Amino acid sequence: MKTKGCGFSGKVLHVDLSREAIQATPLDFGLARKYIGGFGLTVKLAYDNITPGTPALSSENPIVLGAGPLVGTNLPSTSRVYGVTKLPSSETIGWCGAGGMTFGCSLKQAGYDHVVIHGRAKRPTLLKIVDGHVEFRDAEAFWGKGIEKTCEGVWERWGWPAGILCIGQGGENLIPFSMAYIDRMSTLGRGGFGAVMGSKNLKAVVVKGTRGVEVADRKTYRTLSNEFLGEIREYPYLKEWQDLGLLKTFPFIPRETYEKIKKRRAACVSCPVGCKDVVQIRDGVHEGFTACSSSVMNLLTPIMYGFKDYREGIKLIAQLDEYGLDMFEFFGVVGLAGTLVEKGIISSNQVDTHIKIDSYPSMSHWAAKIAFREGLGEVLAGGFKHIFETFGEEARALAPPVVKGMHPYAGPGAAVPWELFGTMELGQVLDPRGPHVAAGGSPTYFAKRPLDVFPRHMKRMGVPDEAVKRIIPPPHASHEKMALKVGRLLKYSHRWFSILASMGICARAQVNRFYNASRCAALYEAVTGVETDLEKLRKRADRGWTLLRMANVREGMARKGDVLPEKWFETSGFKDYLTEEPLSRREAEHMIGDYYEEQGWDRHTGIPTPASLESLELEL
Amino acid sequence: MGRYEIRIDSDKCTGCLRCQLACSDVYTKAFNPSAARILVAFSGADCTIRLLPECDACGVCADHCFFGALTKNKRESQK
Repeated sequence: MKTKGCGFSGKVLHVDLSREAIQATPLDFGLARKYIGGFGLTVKLAYDNITPGTPALSSENPIVLGAGPLVGTNLPSTSRVYGVTKLPSSETIGWCGAGGMTFGCSLKQAGYDHVVIHGRAKRPTLLKIVDGHVEFRDAEAFWGKGIEKTCEGVWERWGWPAGILCIGQGGENLIPFSMAYIDRMSTLGRGGFGAVMGSKNLKAVVVKGTRGVEVADRKTYRTLSNEFLGEIREYPYLKEWQDLGLLKTFPFIPRETYEKIKKRRAACVSCPVGCKDVVQIRDGVHEGFTACSSSVMNLLTPIMYGFKDYREGIKLIAQLDEYGLDMFEFFGVVGLAGTLVEKGIISSNQVDTHIKIDSYPSMSHWAAKIAFREGLGEVLAGGFKHIFETFGEEARALAPPVVKGMHPYAGPGAAVPWELFGTMELGQVLDPRGPHVAAGGSPTYFAKRPLDVFPRHMKRMGVPDEAVKRIIPPPHASHEKMALKVGRLLKYSHRWFSILASMGICARAQVNRFYNASRCAALYEAVTGVETDLEKLRKRADRGWTLLRMANVREGMARKGDVLPEKWFETSGFKDYLTEEPLSRREAEHMIGDYYEEQGWDRHTGIPTPASLESLELEL
Repeated sequence: MGRYEIRIDSDKCTGCLRCQLACSDVYTKAFNPSAARILVAFSGADCTIRLLPECDACGVCADHCFFGALTKNKRESQK
């Protein structure tokens, strides 16, 4: 049995774009153990490299990328890639995560677990990393091109697989809701990661390698892996997930329509489910148009905004993907602009084309205006913050709910009209980067479930028995109703996310359902050789999440950053998960206090207590 | 000639590279797609899968394919 170095590639690459200099340092294995790797270690490197108060689009703001120790193995769905930086939408230090497609695996094969990117290149640059060799390539030929064209150009030149992280025109033009894309399908999304890359003149990072990822205990690995893969093969809904992906959960279009346009399903490296889509429009004026996406569900999102023709929805989202723009934020700001025109707050002579949110020609026009910052598009490209600055309090009053500078995509007035207030919904306020639901998964996800199934799910997530009693406290008397403490449960959602993300496992529900916390501990030990039990894994995961909190406390973003939007509590606002009664602000504020307390943070300030920092051995 | 006949249906391939990972693990004791004896070229809309000359048709690639792109049949002489 091997030990040191297994699972990890063993090096961190530091890149200075300003000086076109690199330094590869050995991975600190003690630190890797302490933070699991992947997400946790990316947070640690970000904490160490970000100077407090640095503006997001300053050359001083570093980008830290990382892939966990399971990435590159053949364990199911282990390809996740994380990026941590100061984000322009929220000015918080936030994480972005993506299904790694080939990027995560290729980064490990190239010899690195993490890349820390400093400075600003003097000209558009493509960073090429192949087997430990790093080149700063002139990216003039790619600058001005969209995501798809950039990826095609890179693969034409350097072959497939080459993992590509790149930006489109949105990132180049520093739009605070621009995203970075991996292999043109996955996104390092919400918050403006694309703009941070753009501010560095960094068009793309391309990785390739041949180095191999070894595991420490091959015998145990094989036993665990075979048992695990057998369970997945036996899963009765596997075929349905493989055939339909997220459309199984969100049937926006009839199955027959999907079958007609489905060209191919696509998967990240090692994933046995495959939730990505390649579709082709088969009829109408857009016949023959092909689109690749993180999910067909994304391509069909315009239907939720009133598009009648799904083919036009696909065309619009493909256009936004090409620019590298966050579709939820796009619809949020354009929708608000339409309202401001109706109310006369935006003068009609500023609008060269009518803003109609359910019209493809109108939305396509405004997508281009925003991406290239033309006319009124220049104001909208600045996001809600810039719209409020330009049009004042009247605009704020008419806006949809805004959290940390962004439009939540789940809840009242949002694209996904979930009305029950579960962990994902609350998590939109308590995630450091702002409204994103990926880290807040729990049994409260999507459909309402009876409380008696919660303990089984919580056990899978590694929630200790004593915490289960706090999350679903036993009634004091027979006439009392059962309660669900959503704030307390969210702490364990974040811990579970931190475990998966730090190891490199996908957190999507159709995949993480096959994992449980004990299995994660056993797999981590088999791959890395690092002694790990459930308790150790929990503590390491908490350490990473708490350090991310401290990174933001250092930015002055504790309790005052976790603000619930008033519009969540208006007439058609959120409802309590269990009672389905309208949720009050007071109740939601109480949940935030519960969340802090469960994390070991001060209930009122939201700052981790000295005792909790000490117990996590966080010396800051 | 190996034990199995490996059948390829590249229309079903998702580009997950599970085949290349499994193959490289068997023959190099490390997960290294570039060292595999099978090669997937996946451009999204199109995909080709090729067994390389050194492939001895052990069938591990098909064992690890979850999408039906690779299947194996025992050769007549091996039955």
